[in-house]
Amino acid sequence: MSDTQAVLAETATPQAAPAAIFGDSHAPTVPMQLEPRELKIQFTGSGSEYFRIWIVNLLLIVVTLGLYLPFAKARRLRYLWSNTVVDGQALSFHGNAWKMFRGFVLLLLLSGSYAVASRLSVTAGIFAFTVMCALWPSLWRASLQFRMANTGWRGLRFAFTGDVAGAYKAWLPIYIPLVVMVAAQLLLADAQLRKDFSAPVQVYAVLMGVSLLTLMVLTPWGLARIKRYQHGGYALADQQTRMDLGTGRFYGLGFKTLGVGLLAILAPAFALGVLAAVLFAGNKMALTVAVPVGVLVGYLMGFAVVGPYWTARLQNMVWSHTASQDLRFDSQLKMRSLLGLTVVNFLLMALTLGLYRPFAVIATTRLRLEAVSLSSEADIDRWLAGAAAQYQDAAGDAAGDFFGIDMGL
Amino acid sequence: MTLDCFDGRSAQAQPAQIWLQDGALHVLTTQLQRHPVRAVHWPERQRHGQRQVLLPDGAVLSCTDSARWDAWARDSGLRDSLTVRWMQSWRGAGVAALLMLAFAFSLWRWGAPAAADVVVRWVPPALERSIGENALSQVDELWLQPSKLKAEQQQRLQERFAALVTASGQGATSYRLHFRAGPKAMGPNAFALPGGDIVLTDALVEFLSDQEDAVLGVLAHELGHVKHQHGLRLLVKSSLVGAMAGLMLGDFSSLLAGVPAVLANAGYSREAEREADRCARDTLRAGGLSPTVMAVFFERLQGLRKGKEGEGRFSVPSAIASHPDDEERRRFFSSPN
Repeated sequence: MSDTQAVLAETATPQAAPAAIFGDSHAPTVPMQLEPRELKIQFTGSGSEYFRIWIVNLLLIVVTLGLYLPFAKARRLRYLWSNTVVDGQALSFHGNAWKMFRGFVLLLLLSGSYAVASRLSVTAGIFAFTVMCALWPSLWRASLQFRMANTGWRGLRFAFTGDVAGAYKAWLPIYIPLVVMVAAQLLLADAQLRKDFSAPVQVYAVLMGVSLLTLMVLTPWGLARIKRYQHGGYALADQQTRMDLGTGRFYGLGFKTLGVGLLAILAPAFALGVLAAVLFAGNKMALTVAVPVGVLVGYLMGFAVVGPYWTARLQNMVWSHTASQDLRFDSQLKMRSLLGLTVVNFLLMALTLGLYRPFAVIATTRLRLEAVSLSSEADIDRWLAGAAAQYQDAAGDAAGDFFGIDMGL
Repeated sequence: MTLDCFDGRSAQAQPAQIWLQDGALHVLTTQLQRHPVRAVHWPERQRHGQRQVLLPDGAVLSCTDSARWDAWARDSGLRDSLTVRWMQSWRGAGVAALLMLAFAFSLWRWGAPAAADVVVRWVPPALERSIGENALSQVDELWLQPSKLKAEQQQRLQERFAALVTASGQGATSYRLHFRAGPKAMGPNAFALPGGDIVLTDALVEFLSDQEDAVLGVLAHELGHVKHQHGLRLLVKSSLVGAMAGLMLGDFSSLLAGVPAVLANAGYSREAEREADRCARDTLRAGGLSPTVMAVFFERLQGLRKGKEGEGRFSVPSAIASHPDDEERRRFFSSPN
């Protein structure tokens, strides 16, 4: 606690101080344009070492009934960060496990009451859902702030500079249809309570259908806004990232993914259907086997093909358009490599009852991180800490876990 | 030793000389700083990755040569924490993996049932009833229609069942018997919900129209579920197992995480069915009826199932006809003790 306050005080000191300490006579006001230089990104983590960390963490989590979770998480992040080497220097993770623990307990209470509420009654569930929806963008922003503020490189802390209003605006396109959906559910629950079926289920179904359709149509737009907000908010020293990527590109990716999905799921389903029809012609029992097998194959294809396709293309698109004044990112993640890795990971995890998971995490992280390259035109030695790095409450970070969000990398 | 020092204000590395003395870390750059050992955030020993020392003033000492750091730390008398020593030994990790498997097994075998016992004791009956009523209104909305049975027939079944419950000394178990017409796919069916709502489909009454005692046997089975609060127990147990599976596999693939949960649930509900069968047999006997009437029911179910398979269906999705196989259950109800 007092440590972090001290740190806060340090970083908040005026920028004149470091210059004085170094006896640096040229204040870094005139940025020097240098030849672009590649800052190599390497990931040095090892699956077998991460396995040992993971299994001991997991055991400690279960014997403490989950209370060890934030400590395990801090160790996991420290391991991953210290193995993420940018231009020869690893990232450092500064999160305080005890602060993370507080945030974790808070979230536990919140999600516990959410779960209870939604089990108890429809109305309570919808109320809880509405509260969650209202809080979500600011929790999401808090988690980004926490994650960035606790990440350092060469002693400088990152920051996330997006504001609260921006977070809400970014989520707006996805929120509108969601609100309609909740409203439809509310109406239905109300009708059920009053045993009033004058407005039948059809009304509800139509409302649901329309809002779902709207959601699907608006999602690429929403995603574009969310990514622009996210990638426009990362900061380190005087560098502030931005992402110049039009909404159209997100629609393009959405359509392509839809096409890939249709091909990947329908083609094998069709082949399977033809095969079943030829092999078991006239045997109706075969249908009862073919349908679940078809569904399973569809899921697996979606998991193995559509997932990696979407992940790889989105990462490449978003990071290749992210830049700050002197830094430029580029991502060349090959969909085929990610696909192969995902399939291997899935099979090995199924075979080992999940024990392969830490190896899978390391391999995936390596593939995704090392696909990114970073070039710099700045004299990094002259970088100074940004104005006032803020240290956010760890509740936001726990919330990020709860909702399963991450940094997109 | 010498390493890179980043002061937290500038990205420029300065060479720093560090040593431990009098319980303090001494850092010499252009000036000398001391930090109490306890205030420093030391890196944990690991084979891969760089070593970073986080100082209380926001500065970071960075050592890219981890072997050199580890040697220095050992020579300076910095000790690894117990957890780190555990994690860095393959034997320790192996023990942890075995303990983890043992834990998962005990959770499934003893932990979840024990937790269910506790929850069942603490959940107020009103809450359990409201869970059941919610479920009933949902299935009513989605699948069920009002019963088309004659009022007298419903009345007679209600009365005979009430008499059986009282005669078998289970008058304290509160239940409500509902008659409903289900969709065709539901077939002859009956199910119990948390809180004591028992639903009986018209198809089952018709299926056993000449064997009313068997209908009572089915109801006694459902009463067994109510008495032992199987609905609530199953809810608790499956949530726990699901959470456990989710912890290990969840964010990789929900399908993989779902498999152990489904398997564990199958085990639990099989057990519950056996318990309800025992309850049904005792109830029938106490009410002066012969449990062998149930044998007729299972024979007919087998027949129905065979017939349906010819039509291209696998099974009758009947709650009472689910888990332990019909033959075993037929023998159970036919056996003399």
